[in-house]
Amino acid sequence: MKLLVTGASGFLGRAVVAAALQHGHQVAAMLRPKTDAARLDWHTHEAVSLVRLDLRQRRGLADAVSGCDAVVHLAAVKGGEFYEQFAGTIVATENLLAAMLEADVKRLVAISTFSVYDYLQLPQGALLDESAPIEDEPAHRDGYAQTKLIQEDLVHDFQQQHAGQVTVIRPGMVYGPDNLWNPCLGEEFGSRFLRVGASGCMPLTYVENCAEAIVLAAEKDEAVGQTINIVDDHLPSKKAFAEALLKQDPNPPKVTPVSWAFMQFLAGAAWFINQKLLKGQAKLPGLLVPAKLHGRFRPHRYSNQKAKQLLGWSPQVSLEEAISRSL
Amino acid sequence: MTATLKAAVIGTGLISKEHLTFLEASALSELVGVCDLSPAAAGYAAQHFKAQAAFTDYHEMLATAKPDVVHILTPPQLHKTMASDCLKAGSHVICEKPITLSYDDFKDLWEVAQQCDRYLIEDQNYRFNEPILDMQRLIAAGDIGDVQEIEVRLVLDLRSGGRFADENLPSPVHKLPAGVIHDFITHLCYLVFTFAPEAEFNRISAAWSNHGGGDLFKYDDLDALLISEAVHARIRFSCHTQPDCIAVTVRGAKGYVETDLFQPYLRCVMPRSVGKQLTPLTNQFLTGREFVNASIRNFRQKVMQKTPYEGLHRLLDQTYKAILNGSAPPISFDDMARSSRLVEALLLEANRL
Repeated sequence: MKLLVTGASGFLGRAVVAAALQHGHQVAAMLRPKTDAARLDWHTHEAVSLVRLDLRQRRGLADAVSGCDAVVHLAAVKGGEFYEQFAGTIVATENLLAAMLEADVKRLVAISTFSVYDYLQLPQGALLDESAPIEDEPAHRDGYAQTKLIQEDLVHDFQQQHAGQVTVIRPGMVYGPDNLWNPCLGEEFGSRFLRVGASGCMPLTYVENCAEAIVLAAEKDEAVGQTINIVDDHLPSKKAFAEALLKQDPNPPKVTPVSWAFMQFLAGAAWFINQKLLKGQAKLPGLLVPAKLHGRFRPHRYSNQKAKQLLGWSPQVSLEEAISRSL
Repeated sequence: MTATLKAAVIGTGLISKEHLTFLEASALSELVGVCDLSPAAAGYAAQHFKAQAAFTDYHEMLATAKPDVVHILTPPQLHKTMASDCLKAGSHVICEKPITLSYDDFKDLWEVAQQCDRYLIEDQNYRFNEPILDMQRLIAAGDIGDVQEIEVRLVLDLRSGGRFADENLPSPVHKLPAGVIHDFITHLCYLVFTFAPEAEFNRISAAWSNHGGGDLFKYDDLDALLISEAVHARIRFSCHTQPDCIAVTVRGAKGYVETDLFQPYLRCVMPRSVGKQLTPLTNQFLTGREFVNASIRNFRQKVMQKTPYEGLHRLLDQTYKAILNGSAPPISFDDMARSSRLVEALLLEANRL
């Protein structure tokens, strides 16, 4: 197959290109014009062609997409001002889909996120799988969740109105060299790392495992029209994951455990005061906004059964090995 | 029942949030349309701010929604054409700064507005921030004496990240005659005229520099000196000094007042009724009290999401009232013409200081 991979120089994109090459595919790796390609291991691979375009404008996109069997769409802006996230995630997706229509390329693997789920509607400790409710009050969530929700809508429109052959992949927390002390584990606070909760299960997927699932999704006809969650096997608790990191990380942060119940109380109290006394106008830190707090830390159980059944996928890299490779 | 004006917005970038927040909340307006080239952006803004319709073609919006007022929030290169089209379609225009790229273009556009009998307003929002209005009141009361010197300093760390530092898809403002500074220079110019409305600056020197180097920024620093018969003014724009600020100091024959619109406070050093000996101590005590109060006030403002755009909301409110009443607009022809001419004069002085 010939795959066009957007966001190819990103944390997950680099691994997806590597996995696609291992599967014997041709890859058109889309990079922003100023990206330093020399830092990408595969930049001189004979099966890779570099496509230097910015998805925020349409110029050249249809030519880039033309002739590809499938597009794996990873490009997104995760931080910064909301309007930068909007342009880098939503306008980028809008332009990509327009180019796919123009080039008559219908197969799309769109990378979404667990952030689109409505954590407050799901009972604590319940199974979070593909049937879990989607956030219906995005204004209470962060810019990343808001933009990814709109992106999913665009992708579904492409599927329904233009006969797009779409697979939506929702990875859990993708970790690896760039993302070990991650936002599902806790929050940096000065020189300390506040680990929020202890026994709750972490929805982790190691970057190479996740990349393998994404490439399989592009290959499998059974994945067309499906939404698939990606998490690894044998998911650790927050406490166990932090301890595993501390065991191997040569420069760990100072970890301060904070009880999940305490954080729930704190966020609930802040929310109550904001709504009752301040008419909901106060802008509070994310940890004090229940929808954001629960989106990151609420304990649930997770399943990768659908990914295994539809894709024939099985995460190959264990937690210990993943941490070892990441450090 | 309060009369309302049908309002529409072209462009849904960063500044649109402030305009749309006003339009959503104001009893004077009814948001009938939002327009952007991106259907998703137009749709999002329409949904989020409860507009009646979203458009991707502003001609269609003018024809369909028939707005009384159009807010033009697009890159400056598009202002003249769009504003002209809106005026000819019968809409009053509120346009982001700089309203045009040259004084001649502004005069052309003003002519169109006159022919169409429509209001044409440039967003000179910081004129309407509370500390600036307080400073004007003190000066009008004669508390610091006749204005002798004005310094307006705008510091924005544009080079270390964000949309202006993005080399992958350079912002259109980099193509303006003065590059990225052109997008902000109107603020600096009108704030000078806010405190010296009659000044004719006949000696102007300006140093335009690109201290950070590279091809993306034409200039990242401006240091300009303006001298009239009675008033000296200094205009500074910097990307390299921190923290970010819009600092304004006005010195008179008897004292001075200063503020920073990003961390608002009002410092007044002027003659006090306690006599000459005790005036310095009184000024210091009152300055200290103001800083303590400002720290509490600004913390509250930050939590409550009050931004330095408070002046924009005041400007828009006064503009809508003026249109409804048929009275004089809060930004006059002279306000726009003076700052437009000064921008041009500063550009002519590129690297001649």
